Amino acid sequence: MGEMGIQADRGGRIMAKTGWWKDKFNLFMVSFTYIITFCIFAILMTVVLKGLPNIGRALLTKEIQFSIKLSLYTSVISTVFCIIIAMPIAYVLARTDIWAKQLISTILDLPLALPPIVSGVCLLLVFGTTGFGAWLENVGLGFVFTVKGIIISQIFTNLSFTIRVLKSTILSINPRLDSIARTLGCTPMQAFFKVTLPLSKNGIIAGTVITWARALGAFGAVLMLAGATRLRTETLPISLFLNMSTGDIDAAMAVANILIIISVISLFIFNKFGGDFIGGSRVN
Amino acid sequence: MISLENVSISLGDFSLKSINLDIPSGEYFSILGPTGAGKTVILELIAGLYKPDEGNILINSENVERVPPEKRGVGFVYQDYALFPHLDVYNNISFGLKLRKIPTKEIEDIVMELTELFNITHLLGRSPGTLSGGEQQRVSLARALALKPRILLMDEPLSALDPNTRKFLCREIKRIHRTYECTIVHVTHDFNEANTLATLVGIILDGQIRQVGTPDEIFKNNGDLKVSRFLGLSAS
Repeated sequence: MGEMGIQADRGGRIMAKTGWWKDKFNLFMVSFTYIITFCIFAILMTVVLKGLPNIGRALLTKEIQFSIKLSLYTSVISTVFCIIIAMPIAYVLARTDIWAKQLISTILDLPLALPPIVSGVCLLLVFGTTGFGAWLENVGLGFVFTVKGIIISQIFTNLSFTIRVLKSTILSINPRLDSIARTLGCTPMQAFFKVTLPLSKNGIIAGTVITWARALGAFGAVLMLAGATRLRTETLPISLFLNMSTGDIDAAMAVANILIIISVISLFIFNKFGGDFIGGSRVN
Repeated sequence: MISLENVSISLGDFSLKSINLDIPSGEYFSILGPTGAGKTVILELIAGLYKPDEGNILINSENVERVPPEKRGVGFVYQDYALFPHLDVYNNISFGLKLRKIPTKEIEDIVMELTELFNITHLLGRSPGTLSGGEQQRVSLARALALKPRILLMDEPLSALDPNTRKFLCREIKRIHRTYECTIVHVTHDFNEANTLATLVGIILDGQIRQVGTPDEIFKNNGDLKVSRFLGLSAS
């Protein structure tokens, strides 16, 4: 497969060097790529150019400061939970043949496919209308219209994604390393902590960053479960929504910019670590 | 003595059907068969990495059904070496020793002895990814031998190497067998390898052991038509 990849790669480069523009089809395909890329960039730049001059002022307002703090607080906590929950599940999905694996995998993927606002409705129903929700509220875990609600919404909408990233990380690690570790004296748990986990390091970093970025941007589910109350459940996306709906465009643009900057940086880090898993299969 | 009694297992696209095999202690036993015959799975069954669907595996007359891999006293060497990429050569070889909480000084002595034996002392600080195939295989052998296993299982240990390295490692493996006095089970599809190294050869075809004997017996005298065909001894 590797050899074929190289040939295709070489073919591609030869095409690019030997006057691809002379062929109308190639000319269309390449121009199309450039035009769409330009459009995406231009759309983002419109917001950046409009919002950038106001960022400094916006950062000084109490409301934006609150939003930034709340967003950081909730996203960091939900990311930690996502990674801790996703790791064992990713390991099971990547390494074992459990009963009904396909079904389990599909159910775990569902929140990724659902519109976040639907996830929010589900969460609201569970926590707001059931005995289970009432019991949780009694023991101090009220999720409806609270900061805890923001965190649980972020976890619910992101967990599937984190599981996918970690699963592909573990799949890239040679399972024979685990077998060797066992014959050298490791229990299954020791093999996990001494071999699989350290080899997943890059994937965990990439997964953490991308989960965190998605948590920062979580909106639909958060809106449904935690509501949009100024200075209470006002994360950055909620702040953007509130400011847009009250006509404070400058503040909204400033918040949008903060989110864009964070996304760009996270994407960069994700690509750096995500594209280069150090799984055993690559070493040879 | 390693005994497989009526061992059957099916894994995805192939299966082993009631395998019966006795490997006396101290022998160099080569399992010879074509690619995809399930040779690796036999090793993994002995190591405890798979459980048989049916049948028993006995090591020194003890049924090891409930003995996990970490307690079976086997060393394992894979064709693709399977060195831990996040550890350097020293930490690869000492991996099992550290798990057993052996004093550092002792670990160092054992590692030095092994690396001298395999002529890889100069590689101790290197990362596996930077080593040649032959070097990786020597590290992998040293790692498997560090715990002085009573059984050394090798899955096509030489087939990914160039002819010179292969010849060299063949000699080293022979020496290991003499020095360590362990039982070696060596899986291969290469007649020469089996012929040069093994004291006993077992032929596996279609998920079954067809014939067991010394290399002389196997390569000269043949009753089994399928075996003859596989070995190229019969024209029909």
